[in-house]
Amino acid sequence: MLFPTVQFAIFFPIVLALSWALMPKQRLWKPFIVVASYVFYAAADPRFCILLAAVTLLNQAAAKAIHATENQRRRKLITGVAVALDLGLLGAFKYYGFFAQNVDDLLNTWGLSPTAPLLSIALPVGISFFTFQAISYTVDVKRRLVEPASTIDVAIYLSFFPHLVAGPIVRAREFIPQLQSARDPEHVAVGAGLGLIGLGLVKKVMIADYLGRVVVDPAFGVPQAYGGPDLLFAAYAYAAQIYCDFSGYTDIAIGLALLMGFIFPQNFRSPYRATGFRDFWRRWHMTLSRFLRDFLYIPLGGNRKGRLRTYFNLMATMVLGGLWHGASWTFVLWGGFHGSMLSIEHAWDGRRRFPAAIRWFVTFNLVVFAWILFRSPDLSLFWTYFTGIFHGGSLSLATFPAVLALLAVIGLQLVPERTSHGIEVGIERLSPILLAVALAALILVVGATVPSQGVPPFIYFRF
Amino acid sequence: MPPENAPRKPARDDSLMQRFDEQRLRRFSARDAVLATALIAFLLLIFSGGSVKRAGEELNPGVGRDVVLAVGKPAAWVAEQLPFAQIGHTLTGWLSPDQKLVGLGFEEGSATGAGAAAGKGPSPVTPEWFDGRELGEEAPRPKLTKLLVTGDSLSTPLDIELGQRLTPDGVEVIREPHLATGISRSDVVDWGKLSATQVAEDHPQAVVIFIGANEGLPMPGPGGEEVSCCGPEWAAIWANRARQMMENYIQGGRAKLYWLTVPAARDPARKPIVDAVNAAVDAAAAPFRSSVRVVDMNSVFTPGDEFRDAMEIDGQETIVREPDGIHLNKEGSALAAEIVEEELDRDFTP
Repeated sequence: MLFPTVQFAIFFPIVLALSWALMPKQRLWKPFIVVASYVFYAAADPRFCILLAAVTLLNQAAAKAIHATENQRRRKLITGVAVALDLGLLGAFKYYGFFAQNVDDLLNTWGLSPTAPLLSIALPVGISFFTFQAISYTVDVKRRLVEPASTIDVAIYLSFFPHLVAGPIVRAREFIPQLQSARDPEHVAVGAGLGLIGLGLVKKVMIADYLGRVVVDPAFGVPQAYGGPDLLFAAYAYAAQIYCDFSGYTDIAIGLALLMGFIFPQNFRSPYRATGFRDFWRRWHMTLSRFLRDFLYIPLGGNRKGRLRTYFNLMATMVLGGLWHGASWTFVLWGGFHGSMLSIEHAWDGRRRFPAAIRWFVTFNLVVFAWILFRSPDLSLFWTYFTGIFHGGSLSLATFPAVLALLAVIGLQLVPERTSHGIEVGIERLSPILLAVALAALILVVGATVPSQGVPPFIYFRF
Repeated sequence: MPPENAPRKPARDDSLMQRFDEQRLRRFSARDAVLATALIAFLLLIFSGGSVKRAGEELNPGVGRDVVLAVGKPAAWVAEQLPFAQIGHTLTGWLSPDQKLVGLGFEEGSATGAGAAAGKGPSPVTPEWFDGRELGEEAPRPKLTKLLVTGDSLSTPLDIELGQRLTPDGVEVIREPHLATGISRSDVVDWGKLSATQVAEDHPQAVVIFIGANEGLPMPGPGGEEVSCCGPEWAAIWANRARQMMENYIQGGRAKLYWLTVPAARDPARKPIVDAVNAAVDAAAAPFRSSVRVVDMNSVFTPGDEFRDAMEIDGQETIVREPDGIHLNKEGSALAAEIVEEELDRDFTP
């Protein structure tokens, strides 16, 4: 079920009202919210609910077993088995085809017949997100950062519908404590919730989908049909599209959770104002960055084992982070590029510091270059696209609305954070009734810009 | 040092979980949240109740559709009794990104089959019923300069594949997939009008259409009654609609149309739909064989109507279908594009 659809517009008000009605009776509220979340998930494909339930039970069993023993080797072993099973599930659904095809290609080049059976496996929506959250629960229990919760609390944590399909990746220690007691019905951030939902809708439907439809999809579909200026413009447009699409989803998810009394971690902080790659990853998909840092980079040794090992750790973390987005060499190279930039930045530490404007300019343009890799379906198309940028041609894709959308997305991120934050908070403190009327009007306007084919899925749904 | 089994303190709050408290934004009540949401739902119903019903009608049969229609039908009725929907449409209608369609829709055109039902008798066979190439005719092969690739979701990434193959040869490839549409679901888009509009706007020299993923919906018959899929009556209505589109696309014989049949789907429940659609395409094309090429995808991807995920391409077993068991994936679309290109080469100079 997509957020900006009629189905969800019917689903959410009913669930919200029942949720607050049942909230004081936690014994009723908890099964209710699990059922509601599974209904939400079943709209994509009911079979995937079995997978979600299996991941929940597996990690809960592991967490209980870890907690029951003080033997460190045993705790490590159980954690390792649980994480391996989680990653195995993710691998089977997400990467099997990629690896089978690459192994077959390799064997074919050596004149050997294929050995791996080819299977066409449907990718369960949100699997990358809920398996990471499950890993975070099990590992946090092992690290004693969180006590094992009841099975129903774990089921809520993994299935809670606002974050189920595309995050943010909420850590167990951030969410499970919120389930320990009923949410306070007298302290709800209604204004912030409504404001974020409105902002998310505008970002997704009015900006991301528009830029995708009019600029990005045509240029990345057949780059041969466009000259250099168009391809360059489309690369910047994609930077704006992917930011608005993903942060728009996150805004809606956080807003919905707020209306239900829950708080999710922040996932974006004006990423295109970053003045370096470390800065970028502190602002872009922050919950994934934290996950990779805490569960991969630091366990690998972080920056504590010498310079060369630090570079290796950065590269390994970012390449795997790239692969997390999908089974394709373009994602691997995208991660590798970010890993290289982080390593170069690390190596440059302590030397001459360039003015912030220059650092911003270089970072932003390198990030946009990497987005071309990210958006290209394969390496050959990437190369066609990239070399096409250096050819002449017209600028036919840069229509007035497209340029305006692009400048708004990039420009607004350069406004001082205190100013934009102040405006945001001012709006979020307005009367909920006033905000509700404004949001209804906004939905009507946004709805009018949706083509008859409907709203395309969020980009991060396929990751 | 804390004891080994004591819970550790998290390092720092880098997820900004306190941000709403710090700004004192949790200042409202749950009642405000429910009231605000109810107010939004109410305003949307009175201003746009009809769109809930339309959205329900566009969904595939199932519980989801029933629920949306259970809300949408009364909502549409309420919205019709009030002036707000019209006001809303006047204020926001100009924002619609949809093309302004021209030409006749299926209901006004020849697609209902009403002419045949009225006893006009069979139309005479003309030379256009024959593919001259099959009768040894040497037709001139002009240079292809403009190609339209269209259809429902089946037509993508075929459109991209054709674009990437033909653009370097100087062919302008217009890619126009209309996702979630269907010939039997003219509530989303009326392909009768859409095909006329595409021709009026683009004047393509050749058209490739791949459609059939969203078919199987009931359609009004010649007498206005609803005809369910997938018997001869339904196939006849679908064929009449397809024929109206073919007439539009071939522009009086000035353009060639390449209509791809639908390969079998994994779900056996879809077999009657696919069979009816493919039979209807064949019947619809009969009077236009000189201009309409029916390109058989079924025998390529699913010989003997047997679904398969993978097939041998260039000596290598390759997955050609998406996991949904309906669409062709990138590799499958590349193969389909190769077949279409061969067909194009028979009519046009590359």
